[in-house]
Amino acid sequence: MSSSVMESRVESEKVLVLERVFDAPRELVFKMYQDSEHLKHWWGPRGWEVPFCTVDFRPGGVWHYCMKCADPNQGDFFGMESWGKAVYKEIVAPEKIVYVDFFSDAEGNENPDMPSTEVTLEFIDLGGKTKLVSRGEYVSPETLKSVMEMGMLQGITETWDRLEERLNAVK
Amino acid sequence: MSKENPGLAVATLGALAEPNRMHIVELLRDGPLTVGEIADRLGLRQPQASKHLKVLSDNGILVVKAEGNRRIYQLKPDPFQALDSWVKSFRRLTEDRMDNLDAYLREVQSRENP
Repeated sequence: MSSSVMESRVESEKVLVLERVFDAPRELVFKMYQDSEHLKHWWGPRGWEVPFCTVDFRPGGVWHYCMKCADPNQGDFFGMESWGKAVYKEIVAPEKIVYVDFFSDAEGNENPDMPSTEVTLEFIDLGGKTKLVSRGEYVSPETLKSVMEMGMLQGITETWDRLEERLNAVK
Repeated sequence: MSKENPGLAVATLGALAEPNRMHIVELLRDGPLTVGEIADRLGLRQPQASKHLKVLSDNGILVVKAEGNRRIYQLKPDPFQALDSWVKSFRRLTEDRMDNLDAYLREVQSRENP
């Protein structure tokens, strides 16, 4: 009985935008991102737990977390740990959070071989409900364009076609 | 959570972050070419084209094939598939989390307002 439909689109060819309306007041939704005890309950992707999560919630502060795969059906991933680290750039409670997301290790060292993503979260008050807009800036426009075109050229997979269709549909 | 080698995707991003190299990749989408043909079509001097081709090869974006005394440059699909997979994994991850957050918010609110 989900009241919310996820919307996604690509802006400026390099920003992935995801929108979702939650049936909860804005302060509460914001708190879910602010409080490490809350984050532990939902930050992991499907089948992944969050055994470690610390939050220093201020601009320049670090959010360090570990995600661990607890789902035996995920094959090679089962038992795998993935460490992440985010550095807050801007915080406007309860409206906005901007952070840069890195892959890291258990000590909090950023992995220079992995792309970082700048994420902007906007919490919009809809009177008892909250619209959350997540903007992730992940690659240069040239690269994304090239990826798209290469995908078609190589005639790759069905999944690729579906992504392409979705991207076109939402443009 | 991609199984692809993410290092590959990053090497691709780095190597493509230069306009001439991006143009070379766009040119080679239509098929393999020699260094002379690439230099001609892009208006580059041959040593300059060779330098960019070397960077692209070193980063696993191109393969070189020898045909007689000609060296033919061709794109490899792997790094682009890795990039594609990374972009998709990012989207999936965010969608997963929003689903979780939705469920968790319901749980928290029903605890607070039974």
